[in-house]
Amino acid sequence: MTAEESLIVKLLTAAWLLPLLGFAVEVFGGYWQKSRKSKAAALMAVACIGCGFVASASALCLGIEWSALLGEGTKHDVMEPISGTFYLLGEFGPLVLSLDYYIDSLTLLMFTMVTLIATCIHVFALGYMSDELTDDHVDHEVHLSDGGHFHRPGRFYRFFSFMSLFCFSMLGLVLAGNIFQVFVFWELVGICSYLLIGFYVERKSASTAANKAFIVNRVGDFGFIIGLMVIWTSFGTFRFFDHEIDTKPVPGLFTMISRVEAEDAHHDEKHKSSAEHEKDEEHPEGEEHPEGEEHHNGEEKAEESHPAGEHATAEHHAHTMQLDVDDARSVVFLHKDNKGTRIADPVTETEKSIPYWLLIVAGVGVFAGCIGKSAQFPLQTWLPDAMEGPTPVSALVHSATMVAAGVYLAGRFYPMFAPEVLLVIAYIGCITLFVAATIAIVATDIKRVLAYSTISQLGYMMLGIGVGGWAAGLFHLITHAFFKSLMFLASGSVIVGCHHEQEMPKMGGLWRKMPVTAFTMLVGVIAICGLAIPFSIFGAKIAFSGYHSKDAIVASSLAFMNANQIHFLLFFVPLVTAGITAFYMFRLWFYTFAGTPRDKKVYDHARESPLVMTIPLIVLSFFAIFVAVGGEVGPLYGLLQGSEPVHVDGGAVSVATEGATAITMPSRHAIHDVHGQAGWYALIAAVSGAVFAYLLYGIRVIDPADIKRNFSGVHTFLVEKWRFDDLYEVMFIKPVHVIARWCTGFDRGYIDGLLHWLSRKTVDVSNWDRKFDENVIDGLVNWIGKVVYKSGRSLRHLQTGLIRQYVMFIALGVLALFVLLFVMFPA
Amino acid sequence: MNFDAILEKLINDTVGQSLGHFSSELALCVTIVGLLLVRLVSLDRWLPTYWVALLGAIAAFGLAACQMKQGGATQFLFTGLLVYDQFGIFFRLFLLLFLVLVIALTVISGIPDNEDGPDFYTLLLGATIGMMLMVSANNLLILFLGIEMTSVPSYVMVGFLKGRKLSSEAALKYVIYGAGIAGVMLYGISLMAGMLGTTDMSLIAERMHLLLSPEADGADLSVRSNAMLRTVVLASLLISAGVAFKLSLVPFHFWCPDAFEGAPAEVAGFLSVASKAAAFALLVRFCLALVGKDSGALSEHVYLYLGVGLGVVAAITATFGNLAAYSQTNIKRLLAYSTIAHAGYMLMAVAAMMVLVNSDVADAKLKAAGALEGLIYYLTVYLFMNLGAFAIVAFIRNQILSEEIKDYAGLGWQAPCLGIGMVFCLFSLVGMPPFGGFFAKLMIFKSLVDAGYANPFMWVVLAIGGLNTVFSLIYYLRVLNAMYIVPRPEGSPRVKFDFLPAGAYVVMVTLPVLLTGFFPYFPDRLSDTASRVANMLISNF
Amino acid sequence: MDIGLNHYLVVGAVLFVCGIICMATKRNAIGILMGVELVLNGANINFVAFSRYTALGLDGQIVSLFVIVLAAAEAAVALAIALNFYNNHLTIDVDRGDELAG
Repeated sequence: MTAEESLIVKLLTAAWLLPLLGFAVEVFGGYWQKSRKSKAAALMAVACIGCGFVASASALCLGIEWSALLGEGTKHDVMEPISGTFYLLGEFGPLVLSLDYYIDSLTLLMFTMVTLIATCIHVFALGYMSDELTDDHVDHEVHLSDGGHFHRPGRFYRFFSFMSLFCFSMLGLVLAGNIFQVFVFWELVGICSYLLIGFYVERKSASTAANKAFIVNRVGDFGFIIGLMVIWTSFGTFRFFDHEIDTKPVPGLFTMISRVEAEDAHHDEKHKSSAEHEKDEEHPEGEEHPEGEEHHNGEEKAEESHPAGEHATAEHHAHTMQLDVDDARSVVFLHKDNKGTRIADPVTETEKSIPYWLLIVAGVGVFAGCIGKSAQFPLQTWLPDAMEGPTPVSALVHSATMVAAGVYLAGRFYPMFAPEVLLVIAYIGCITLFVAATIAIVATDIKRVLAYSTISQLGYMMLGIGVGGWAAGLFHLITHAFFKSLMFLASGSVIVGCHHEQEMPKMGGLWRKMPVTAFTMLVGVIAICGLAIPFSIFGAKIAFSGYHSKDAIVASSLAFMNANQIHFLLFFVPLVTAGITAFYMFRLWFYTFAGTPRDKKVYDHARESPLVMTIPLIVLSFFAIFVAVGGEVGPLYGLLQGSEPVHVDGGAVSVATEGATAITMPSRHAIHDVHGQAGWYALIAAVSGAVFAYLLYGIRVIDPADIKRNFSGVHTFLVEKWRFDDLYEVMFIKPVHVIARWCTGFDRGYIDGLLHWLSRKTVDVSNWDRKFDENVIDGLVNWIGKVVYKSGRSLRHLQTGLIRQYVMFIALGVLALFVLLFVMFPA
Repeated sequence: MNFDAILEKLINDTVGQSLGHFSSELALCVTIVGLLLVRLVSLDRWLPTYWVALLGAIAAFGLAACQMKQGGATQFLFTGLLVYDQFGIFFRLFLLLFLVLVIALTVISGIPDNEDGPDFYTLLLGATIGMMLMVSANNLLILFLGIEMTSVPSYVMVGFLKGRKLSSEAALKYVIYGAGIAGVMLYGISLMAGMLGTTDMSLIAERMHLLLSPEADGADLSVRSNAMLRTVVLASLLISAGVAFKLSLVPFHFWCPDAFEGAPAEVAGFLSVASKAAAFALLVRFCLALVGKDSGALSEHVYLYLGVGLGVVAAITATFGNLAAYSQTNIKRLLAYSTIAHAGYMLMAVAAMMVLVNSDVADAKLKAAGALEGLIYYLTVYLFMNLGAFAIVAFIRNQILSEEIKDYAGLGWQAPCLGIGMVFCLFSLVGMPPFGGFFAKLMIFKSLVDAGYANPFMWVVLAIGGLNTVFSLIYYLRVLNAMYIVPRPEGSPRVKFDFLPAGAYVVMVTLPVLLTGFFPYFPDRLSDTASRVANMLISNF
Repeated sequence: MDIGLNHYLVVGAVLFVCGIICMATKRNAIGILMGVELVLNGANINFVAFSRYTALGLDGQIVSLFVIVLAAAEAAVALAIALNFYNNHLTIDVDRGDELAG
């Protein structure tokens, strides 16, 4: 490991552990602070995460090969992964549990993103949580039986200690070098989420929501554990990277499952794809396309990223890769290096392999964890309820970072996913993004709208990963983190400004009262809708971050649809949803900030938030605008491509033989080809959605109430969140109650009866035993005691207290011993 | 050899070889002189004398610790009067550690006032020097001198509370009994020295062998040698009586309860541990000297009879001590009998060693060393538990001015630190499992099991020892019963114990009792050291 | 009659037995201490005799010298303790010290 690499490891370790240190100190804030009015713990938390950001950003600057990133080359040279072991927890037979690290450009990027957003949110929370800075906090949401409100000491320090713990856990998750470690930190962020959702624990809704979040996540984690078991039994290691045990090289998971070039079985598809490339290549180099000429836009983009010099090599790379399966497509062989050398089992002298279906089970299992954590269908119900937590928590934990951890893991674990699993991921994402977006249309609570939007956007990310747009999905993860945390903070600012009013129908016209909040929110809204001016000015499009990332996802899904016509829904649903997204986001903005005030009282008391809250908004809006600058050729996308699994490049081919179920992953080229086209589709959808919202809520050409009346059935269905909660109530909760009652009855009737009978018998037996004890045993013991005591007393008479007798005993004693010896020792 | 040559040889031997190994004794001597000087120039008004004593004791302890660390082979000092080996060094260290602890105890409990300080510490240090001579004695003269140097200051210390009737009575009884025994022992020494023609202990066995050797020609010679042998046996019995007096073995135990009851608790604690440890070291040396290195037919018999004889005495002593302790009402008297009983247990280890050391059991030497190891281990644990018990008695006496068990009613609740310390010490004395006393007793009983293979009589001794352990539980529990279960009488003043310094001292002394029981590390270290020392002695022998 | 080793030993033994009897019968503390002196001197006679007649050599005389010194020291201590006993009991009858018993 070079000095630079070890420095990066140290920097990231510092960034990771600083919040833990902070937590360890802050959690005792209630003891070492003189009163609950002290901000010391909070400032410590801010300092810790701030230093963490500086360390992460430095590591990012150090770790990246800037020339590779900014130059026009293949992005795989951006960064070589750094991996190693911090600490060996234990070895249980061949199972090695350790704290590892695996650092590639994705890790660095996630670190920087998490710490930056966390820093902003910590600062914001200094203002947002300031009503906790009191020794006697009144919780107006908790009504006591005597009609009063609940009083308690403020919990400022506690909030920040939990936030620090969360940052530690989240960073640990990102840094983890083995899947087991990921799982540990996965649970840690889960518990932090639980603690923070239930921060106002006295509120019934908050504690219920916390429980719900935790329990629903358990369902996903169950799948995760099954995945872990499969991985352990089939691969024998949890580590991602190649390592050594007792100087014996052991391949990591990614190496074992590395792809090989596709065989001729799918030659036709490959052929088709290469034919397209040839067509692409035929375009003369110098041929310029006028800007705005939409038909050729895609080709132009392709030209941009693959200029002539690189083209040949890129083409050479772009072989279709697939899992190393046997002819019957039933097992996958494991490799010991990236060249496809299979592992030979020394005992059975066969090549080590894993059944194909088991690989799918492992992938789906791990993805089940992602479903829970990222609130994907069908486990999406916990996230809206999680908005019971303080708004900074919603911003950090439940939009920007923790829920994105599922996407991160799907991305990190991508090499382990068979194409079938990817298809599952894509469909799950697709369903989620549509369901959540539709519910968001009718939600009136400002935070809930954002929550559903979060679910929907997470669905986009999953879809992106599922359809082979690896970088696109993670691209959206990063950009979404910025604009969604921005929007949550802005909503928090609104909530504080309106004195904890969250219902949008009571707001309106607030932009006059809180301009900074309104316009930063607008930035977020534009970013998430993906609005843009689709013309290049100075060589770059005028577009906020969301445009680029959503564009990339839509392009991937379009390419996927092109390759697999049967899965056309995976393109059309997200496209329509892009319009819906624009609609509900603009609805939110118009409802809240534009128009006339609907509730005079709320409006009159509204005020702009203090600087400590608005500055993070401005910082985040800056990033929401510029983070994805350059789009597909920008530095952010390049960084992500640096970590892209090798086989994404050329696309992977399903091993299914039947034509109908065959899945072809689009190659990067295929995505390039349709990029411009997709961009336009998405933009049109977004613009139409935005315009529709403007008509309904901006200038009110149609009264939304009319629509609500006309479609009351649909509306109710949506307000009731597609009735998922009711469904789960009927499907799981009710049956469990019935079974529980039955169990109680059994318990009371039979088990308790048996126990009572047994105890009565025991009492009887012990009564007999007592009689025996008292009469026989005690009598014996007492007799012995009496004898011993008597002999002791008689011995006392020997000690007469007269010295002359003592001296006599000396002589007698010696004499006695002498005689004794002579008796025993006759010469 | 002219006078000059002798003188030169003597000086070379003394200065060149012996004095260096004698450094801890010398340090104590210097301290005694210092104490007297302090008194002479009236420095003791400003400088409490216990500082001088404590400093001297710690210095001596440090020197002994250095010797322990250095190790080194066995050698003879002062033209063979003393033997310098691991065994001796260990006991020296043991005695000095105990001395430091006792001085600390007297400082806290304040038994000698400032006026009497120099006298008391002079006596204490003098007695310790005597004990250190005992543990490294290689000559019958030193054996006698060591016992006397230990005894004479002890007489005075027992009577140190001059105005108290009981104290003076105890001292008088002790001095008369001690002097009588000393005379008896000296007579025995004179007989043995005369019969064998030497006072050197390392030559005893050889000379005895010579006395009996078939080459000693003529029938009448054998008759004569038979008579001489009986004389020697008598002599060794008389000498053993002297040692037994120090060990308070039945039937030479009479002084012990009376002297302990009359003496201050601190002095009783000192006598109960230190003089006993030194006497055991001396007994082991004397017994080994008596039977010698050669495992001839004779010495094998001598071993066996000596071992069995000691076993009988041990069994009687333990039983007597435990039974007599039953109906005691005074805590110090009870502890005195408990001391007698424990001497019996420890003597079992010596008996086992003697039976084993030249027997035909497999690994006999190793097992003999195991018995000796058990003795050393027992003594070390005994140091802490007995000192702890006596210290608590002293602290309670300072508060309630009584040493009657019935006056202890309810004290355990009012002085939790002392109460719990007492619980630990007494349970350890019983030999309850989580405490050090259990392991100590276990080791001795195990060596008795081993010895039983050489002579089944040892199993009888073992059975008696086990039975005694059960008996002993009851009278120890009586003390705890008084402290915890009997309520404090109405109207009696509430007793106030401060944690510092008394409680801290109790914690310091009782903690090792716990550590040697609970945590494997400490017993392991201790038994490692003990077995090293024991193996060294046995293998040298 | 030749005076030999045995004669000295007999004298020593007589002294020893006298001393023991003296210790066991006298009620006066001083008397008991005198008995102790008799015992010690009986032993001393043995030592000196052995030193003259056997291989013990000068060792015996050295021992007896030590014993004389020690006896003096012991006597001093014993007398002091006896005096202390007298101060507390106003008698030196050892039978009066019978409070410590049992």
